[in-house]
Amino acid sequence: MWWLTLLDLFLEILGTTGKKFINFVASIGHFFIFFGSALYWVFKPPWYFKKIFQQILDIGYFSLPVVGLTTFFSGMVLALQTYNGFTDFNSESTVARIVLASITRELGPVLTGLMVAGRIGAKMAAEIATMRVTEQIDALGTLGTRPMQYLIAPKIIASFVCIPLLVLIGNTIGILGGYIIAIYKLNFNPSLYLYATMEYLQLIDIIQGTVKAAVFGLIISMVSCYFGYNASKGAEGVGFATTSSVVISSVMILTSTYIITALFFG
Amino acid sequence: MEKRNNKKVIIKISDLSKSFNNNFVLKNINFQLLEGESLAIIGASGSGKSVLLKNIIGILQPDKGSIVINDTEMVNLSRNLKEKLLLDLGITFQHGALFDSLKNWENIIFKTANKEKINNKQGKQLAFSIIKQLGLQPEILDLYPSEISGGMQKRVAIARAICGNPKILLFDEPTSGLDPVTGSLIDELIKTAVKTVGGSAITITHDMASVCRIADKVILIDKQTISWTGTPKEMFNSRNKKIQEFVKPINSEIFFK
Repeated sequence: MWWLTLLDLFLEILGTTGKKFINFVASIGHFFIFFGSALYWVFKPPWYFKKIFQQILDIGYFSLPVVGLTTFFSGMVLALQTYNGFTDFNSESTVARIVLASITRELGPVLTGLMVAGRIGAKMAAEIATMRVTEQIDALGTLGTRPMQYLIAPKIIASFVCIPLLVLIGNTIGILGGYIIAIYKLNFNPSLYLYATMEYLQLIDIIQGTVKAAVFGLIISMVSCYFGYNASKGAEGVGFATTSSVVISSVMILTSTYIITALFFG
Repeated sequence: MEKRNNKKVIIKISDLSKSFNNNFVLKNINFQLLEGESLAIIGASGSGKSVLLKNIIGILQPDKGSIVINDTEMVNLSRNLKEKLLLDLGITFQHGALFDSLKNWENIIFKTANKEKINNKQGKQLAFSIIKQLGLQPEILDLYPSEISGGMQKRVAIARAICGNPKILLFDEPTSGLDPVTGSLIDELIKTAVKTVGGSAITITHDMASVCRIADKVILIDKQTISWTGTPKEMFNSRNKKIQEFVKPINSEIFFK
């Protein structure tokens, strides 16, 4: 009977879809359990200060060049594009205002978040996943050390502290990029441009950017550590953990930036 | 403390079963490790020997059965108590599982450094006192595990396991990948560790020469269960076909003359 075959096919598709959906919901639940557990170990002494310092160095200091370059060129591009689009208006104040608002509110935090997700998130996920598949995490547990406390907590603390600082530095460099273009290419008056920048600088923009950066820090470290910690299947598992951590972190950064913007200015 | 033949029972495994996706790897495993005893577990690759070890140290949870270490039931034990209990154990993993972000000396003293305050100089001295028993040069202490050979990594992992003189030693294939000279050096070390500290050891191995050198008792795991138990000498007279396959390439006279 042809309709029986069709029914079988339909049920098979339904079964496969259902199984995938259940697995998806289960992995979300699993992630939030990991999130809660990781937060618990962040606040639980003893803290491994040497590990935290190493992470701060890696996440904060060594990410500075890539974050600086990205925001610097973004500020330059913004100044050029804004000038081309707003030549009929009072250019000095318009360019300064748009560069400032775009960098501090959105581009600074988001570009820094994405750069750190690519550089640090991938590294965290690959490192922890390799430790998982080579039984190093199992070995830690047998040597009187909690893997969550020793491996995960320092990464979360360092990301939460460093990314807001990186964003503040990135914002400054981005605004500087806009300033350089405005003064040396567009021949604006430096005093007027600086005055306009300072006039439009809002505390709420800086607070909003810092909040975003702190949230991104949590997202990058939690997602990367989660995928790394739950890696399996050898080298393939390490690759999957690394790719997933970067993709999911990036999507979550872009989603959460909208939510935070809506909360502040919506 | 439970005793057998006037010796303390250090590890007691009762009716232990473990499955993955409804496929049983271990079924109704029963054995005991007595104080001062060196037990070797043999079996074909994939027979579940390492799974058994991972159940004993709590990395895997058995489907059913009981694991008692020093009179404490390990199954369903709280994480805190399990970790305290594991501190009395020295464990080596099949592939070493050395921390590749730490130098070799930091790997060796990792557990000791967690328990007590120890400066770098003391730590290196302690690590050196252990590695010289294993035929390793002091130069490797300041290198990372990735900078030394596989055989050296294996010995560093053994050094990490015996650091602090734990009374229970669990070795997963300690001599695999080592040359015969180093292999027999490791065997001597296991024997010494058991005899001098009054400790007990479980060694998982395929190396029958090593079994003859170190074991007081041998367990064969075949078809998910313990299919043979005896002493190394008894292996050579056994009618068990699997045991015969294992001992065939070995000349017993070399070991038991």
